[in-house]
Amino acid sequence: MTGAVLTPLIVDALGEFFRLGTLSEVFVNGLSKAALYAMIASGLTLVFGLLGVLNFAHGSFTMLGAYLGGLVMVVLVGSATGDLARVLFFLVGTLFVFAAIGALGGAVEVGLIRQLYDRPPIYQILLTFGLALVLDEAARIVVSFYGIQPITDWRAALGTKPAFMVENLSVAGLSVSPLALFQIVFGTVTIGAVWLFLTRTRYGMVVRAGSEDDEMTAALGIDVNRVFTTVFALGSAIAGVAGMLLMWDPVWGASLPLAHETLLPAFVVVIVGGLGTFRGTVVAAGLVGMVDATMTWWFQNAITFTGLPEMMIFLVLVLTLIVRPQGLFGVEEVGGH
Amino acid sequence: MAISSPTDPPGEGGDADEAGTDPPDDADPATPDEDSIAAASGREWWRRYLREHTAHALVVAAFALYPFLYALLAASPLGTEVETLLPRVETMVAVFYFGLFAMSFDFVSGYTGYLSFGHAIFYGTGAYFVVLAANGQIPLLAPGTPFMLLLLLAGLLAVVIALAIGALSFRLSGVYFAMITLGFAQVAYVFVRGWDYVSENPRDGAAVSTEVHPGGFDVGVPGVDALNLAIGRLTGDSVELLFVELGGTEVSYYMVGLVVLVCYLAMQRLIHSPFGTVLLAIRENEERAEAVGYDPFRFKLAAFAISGFFAAIAGGLFAGFRRSVAPDNSMYFLVTGDALLASIIGGFGTLAGPLYGRLFDETVREFLSKRGSGGGLLPYLREHLPASVIEADLVGGLTVGGAIETFLNGHASLYIGVIFVLFVLYVPNGLLGTVRDRLGGTVAKQLPEYLDRYRRD
Repeated sequence: MTGAVLTPLIVDALGEFFRLGTLSEVFVNGLSKAALYAMIASGLTLVFGLLGVLNFAHGSFTMLGAYLGGLVMVVLVGSATGDLARVLFFLVGTLFVFAAIGALGGAVEVGLIRQLYDRPPIYQILLTFGLALVLDEAARIVVSFYGIQPITDWRAALGTKPAFMVENLSVAGLSVSPLALFQIVFGTVTIGAVWLFLTRTRYGMVVRAGSEDDEMTAALGIDVNRVFTTVFALGSAIAGVAGMLLMWDPVWGASLPLAHETLLPAFVVVIVGGLGTFRGTVVAAGLVGMVDATMTWWFQNAITFTGLPEMMIFLVLVLTLIVRPQGLFGVEEVGGH
Repeated sequence: MAISSPTDPPGEGGDADEAGTDPPDDADPATPDEDSIAAASGREWWRRYLREHTAHALVVAAFALYPFLYALLAASPLGTEVETLLPRVETMVAVFYFGLFAMSFDFVSGYTGYLSFGHAIFYGTGAYFVVLAANGQIPLLAPGTPFMLLLLLAGLLAVVIALAIGALSFRLSGVYFAMITLGFAQVAYVFVRGWDYVSENPRDGAAVSTEVHPGGFDVGVPGVDALNLAIGRLTGDSVELLFVELGGTEVSYYMVGLVVLVCYLAMQRLIHSPFGTVLLAIRENEERAEAVGYDPFRFKLAAFAISGFFAAIAGGLFAGFRRSVAPDNSMYFLVTGDALLASIIGGFGTLAGPLYGRLFDETVREFLSKRGSGGGLLPYLREHLPASVIEADLVGGLTVGGAIETFLNGHASLYIGVIFVLFVLYVPNGLLGTVRDRLGGTVAKQLPEYLDRYRRD
């Protein structure tokens, strides 16, 4: 179309992009996105690895987490609350969301998904898809009942952010968003905790054994059904906590579309990393986060195409599946090849 | 290899008018049904054909009578209740075109077992193609190109896209196949959402311009004016036949229904051909199908392309009737989700099932929608409940009226979702699949024999 006109612009933009300042800004943004994606996708991949269920309701757990977290913050935080207290309240809220969404996830596994393990895997996809419809619509009813606009971000929840997170910091000539740093720290701690749980605890060992071969694990005298419930609850809870983190981020915010906005990239991350591999998911989250941040920068500065970051994320998915169908760290047999 | 052209005439005799829509069908088309062959031998081919399509003919008759029935009942003393419970004719048009899309989705997903989660890309292709062509935005196509030709071209375009996507995607299976098709469709979705060639505000989609294309879209024989009727809510032709007068919506209902019927019969023919049997073999055991000597890849690819063709026709009908298209109602993954919903409720792996599934879905949606026109539960309750009940307190200041508003005002998705989950758990074969299991074979096959029992010779 307008390629000839765009070329000098692109060259300019390239020069701009490869400045150290720009690169490090993009890097920090990419890391924060990666942290969020890793949190959301890790639950998805744990659940798939162990239960073999691709959970379409996962994004809805994130959305519910965002609203619940927002609720906690709106109730606890007044205009006079100091910054430190707000961060403390946030951590308290995280525990609450973790417990609540985890309980919901556990109930879903026991009440619904458990009945379908001996059916073809497509039925589990269908069930969770229907569940997502129900959860989203139920949330819409509740949210609109309290007079909150369901499509756009929940303003009141955004307003509970501590003041120091609103303005960008400038460190050594770089403009850094404190919120992004907070997300990176929070995400790293969460992912690290899950990692330690999986590799350093006895229960984590059981989970890994179950992913490898659940029948054998059951034969060794372990109540696999209980492990299933725990892992589903854990995965949902992490998704909920990630939602709470997103509630403060004006790019995402607590809203109903958040369910789809997070579900689709999480799918991409999980597939790119290889279904069921935790390490692959973390690496893929990094990759997708970086692609997202880079493309967001390009969209803001050079290319006017609105959907650029989203489109690139899905292209990453498609290309990965063409070049390496089992994902970066995937095992051939998983997911039906 | 045995790929039939998607536009094959429906029956050997090509006698499409005699046959019917939607019913069931599927499974074991290979085993020759000895009884029916024996019973039919000695009769003329057309009697045999009619016999095989009794179920189809009955369903077509039911659908053909529906607008009259609806009008009749709506005028009766129970009019308000009827309007509340039954879908409007306009809704039925949507059932038709979306039902066709759901059928095409089922054609590949239900019969080969490969979940085509990005199927909306074909529906969207058809819809965008028709709108852009009508606006003269597609090179070499004049705005006045006959609608039927546009549908065909849209279908062929979808075939090309399907072959390209399929060639890459069918190397995968299971969840990965669903995800790569989803990936392709989302790329297309994001692309049309930001493509400003489509319209000034591509996020909201595009509409057929009334200046470039003022008339409705004609369904019929291209070039013969007398054999064409325009579809569209406002632009549809109205017809007077003997005593009855058909408005634009009713004409659209019949014309869209006709196209869907022809497409259904074509797909039904394909499913019951040796080609369709190979698809079933692939679903049941791909390795064995390969060991027998079929090349599953080519069969899957062909099924995908055929399915894309019909999905694009459905999209074209949708755009032709609505005269507009938006990314969110054509290309988004939730559109595929709706087709999935319809397929599961109607019966996964039964060709006609998705249409009934969609009918069910739309009926519930309209029943619970907030719009007053066409009726629904909300306006009905508002008008018929005495004021004292509406004002009554339920819990903590929530009145009955408030509760009705809160829980019924356009929240059909909640109830559809609940029904869907219940179907997945307790009726995994769907409406039509369950009926078929009860009868012990496809409804189209079993019904004539069933009726024979009640006939005195």
